[in-house]
Amino acid sequence: MTGGSLVRIRAMVRKETWHILRDWQTLAIVLAMPVAMMFLYGYALTLDITDARIVIEDPLPSTQTRHLAGSLDATTLFKVAAVVRSAGDPAQTLKHFEAKALVKFPPGFGRDMRDGGSAARVQVLIDGADQNVGNILMHAIQPAIRNGALELLNITPPEPVEVHSRVLYNPQQKTSLFFVPGLMALLLTLLSALLTALAITREKEFGTMEQLLVSPVRPVEVLVGKIAPYVVISAAMAVLVLGTGWLFFDVRVQGSLLFLAGACLLYLTTTLALGLLFSTVAKTQQQALLLALPATMMPTVVLSGFIFPVSSFPVWLQAISHIIPAYYFIQVLRGIMLKGVGPLELWPQLTCLTAMGVFFLAVATKRFRTRL
Amino acid sequence: MIDIALIIRKEFRQIKADPVMIRLMVAPALVQLFVIGYALTTEVRHVPFAVVDRSATPQSVSLAESFKTGDLFDFAGYVQSESDLRDLLDRGTVRMGMVIPPDFAAALESDMKASVQLVVDGVDANSSQVASGFAQGIISRWSFAHLKERLRSRGIDFESMVPVRVDVAVLYNPLLRSSWFMIPGLVVLLVTIVTALLTGMSLVREKERGTLEQLMVTPIRPIALLIGKMIPFAIIGLVQVSVFMVLATLWFDIPFRGSLLTLFTFTVIFMLSSLSIGILTSTIARTTQQTMFLTFFVVLFFLLLSGLFIPVENMPTWVQTITFVNPVRFFITAVREMFLKGLGFADLWREAAIMGAIGVTMMGMALALFRRTSA
Repeated sequence: MTGGSLVRIRAMVRKETWHILRDWQTLAIVLAMPVAMMFLYGYALTLDITDARIVIEDPLPSTQTRHLAGSLDATTLFKVAAVVRSAGDPAQTLKHFEAKALVKFPPGFGRDMRDGGSAARVQVLIDGADQNVGNILMHAIQPAIRNGALELLNITPPEPVEVHSRVLYNPQQKTSLFFVPGLMALLLTLLSALLTALAITREKEFGTMEQLLVSPVRPVEVLVGKIAPYVVISAAMAVLVLGTGWLFFDVRVQGSLLFLAGACLLYLTTTLALGLLFSTVAKTQQQALLLALPATMMPTVVLSGFIFPVSSFPVWLQAISHIIPAYYFIQVLRGIMLKGVGPLELWPQLTCLTAMGVFFLAVATKRFRTRL
Repeated sequence: MIDIALIIRKEFRQIKADPVMIRLMVAPALVQLFVIGYALTTEVRHVPFAVVDRSATPQSVSLAESFKTGDLFDFAGYVQSESDLRDLLDRGTVRMGMVIPPDFAAALESDMKASVQLVVDGVDANSSQVASGFAQGIISRWSFAHLKERLRSRGIDFESMVPVRVDVAVLYNPLLRSSWFMIPGLVVLLVTIVTALLTGMSLVREKERGTLEQLMVTPIRPIALLIGKMIPFAIIGLVQVSVFMVLATLWFDIPFRGSLLTLFTFTVIFMLSSLSIGILTSTIARTTQQTMFLTFFVVLFFLLLSGLFIPVENMPTWVQTITFVNPVRFFITAVREMFLKGLGFADLWREAAIMGAIGVTMMGMALALFRRTSA
């Protein structure tokens, strides 16, 4: 690169910086979003269900039913919200008491249990609308009632196999640890793919791109000059997110910082190429936005494994996930930041990212040349 | 009244004349329904799973094999040592492993406490908690079955020892499908984004082109102008709810047990708030591009705090307090109760009242702010 080229690129960078500063609101929104999300979701989410409210229907209270209700209430999982004589419609009762399950003792329960002979029956109706809660309650209620009954008969419940859980990488199960890599990916995608696509189409829309191209500035210099400020902003923002995570949520990078920076740079190249590709297709900023927003933001949030587990998707949707750069980048980030692993473990993901970047860049430059 | 009708006619003509706006309304709606409808799952399935069996006895093999049934875990095989397991976890090849200690079988048969260790990839706190819950369930079921077997070999029948039979029935969603819970919530996403975005965009475009000032100097009052602008988008919102209902019930096979009238009434009450968001963003944003970013940002905020993705009960108390002023939260609760449980106004009046109160407040704020910034 000659000295003249550097001067021309610097002029382009200065011009683009002015554009960014003039529309600082857009930049502010794009930056505020991930940081706000981090503060909202940065706490530890408790998915352990405790004190699930249950309603007990007991038409003929007896020592036995009262004991079983008490032993259910004593568990950490269940909490007796109310004991009623007759429950009526389950949906309305559950809503009225904000409860998740209804335990129905028949009138003869106490007698049946005292006399032995035929087993006393109890019916449990579980609100299965939220399948996670329903699943847990469904499996827990039977042992809980059975243990209560054994207690009543002075039999120690048998000990099952003990399970020791060891949680790796994120022992306190903090959501922030999971969220920070996803937010980094979202932020870098928005900044690089979306904003660069908008910046280039703006020149096209106003007709200034042609003016730039007939000027002594060469096409490559125009592109480099326009993209450079966004690379700088992206890098600054990556540092900001890491810093916020570290200062406020104690998220530490387990692996090598240098490798992390390299991975971010690789991802930036891929998404910048994608943004360039969008800009060769769209004629106006609005078109670019309509093209780039569903193609970047939605997949990065929904399909990349950022929030929803990809392994639970139907196969065709998993296939779509596999062509989204963020899917690989998030795995790389989590590997470096949480697991502390390096290129040795992450080479498959890095290879996919590189291949995608080369592909996007090839198509984008080809289209960019032919269009000019 | 005539003023409002005139504005409504003008709005509809403008919508028809602008194909980009139509694409904006139709494309995201369809993409959202199809992609998010499948992706939006809280179900944890096919967790890759490996076992370190240092006991290598019929008992330990039987326990390990019990993870092969069902689709909760994908059994990836046995590995030699714990460091091999760690390596698989590091690479992300498996997300959970079970270590069975050498004394497992001996402890099991001698009334001592047998134990196993689960090693969990905790990166995704949500999935890993659900998955380890499933694993513990599988282990405890296996150990209970094993215990019964042992008692039977000693001539004791466990079932007759416990004189209680528990019949468990799951209501409303008997197959415990995640989609039955998540997809009804999507209607809220749809209505919020479309009504807020379209209202905001249409107002800002008038501002950008300078036609808003022209409208302001006509005898039409600002209130009439806003009402005339909002009604077409409210109608579009209701049409979208209808399309959504057809897709949800016919394509995704979700039962709708409530009444359509209740659903539409709730939608109208809710749109007081979502339309207000549109007006409020239009008073802040200067360009359509800014409106789009701002609306997405605000809507995302409302959705994150609504219980659509993560149940409100699982949030810390101070965040739960914030959700009380979030209309989306109450709309989602109402829609879910309507869909699966068929509840009506008699049981959902509290949600309707809170949503109405929030809606009226937001609308008042929006009107006041609009008049101050534009008139």
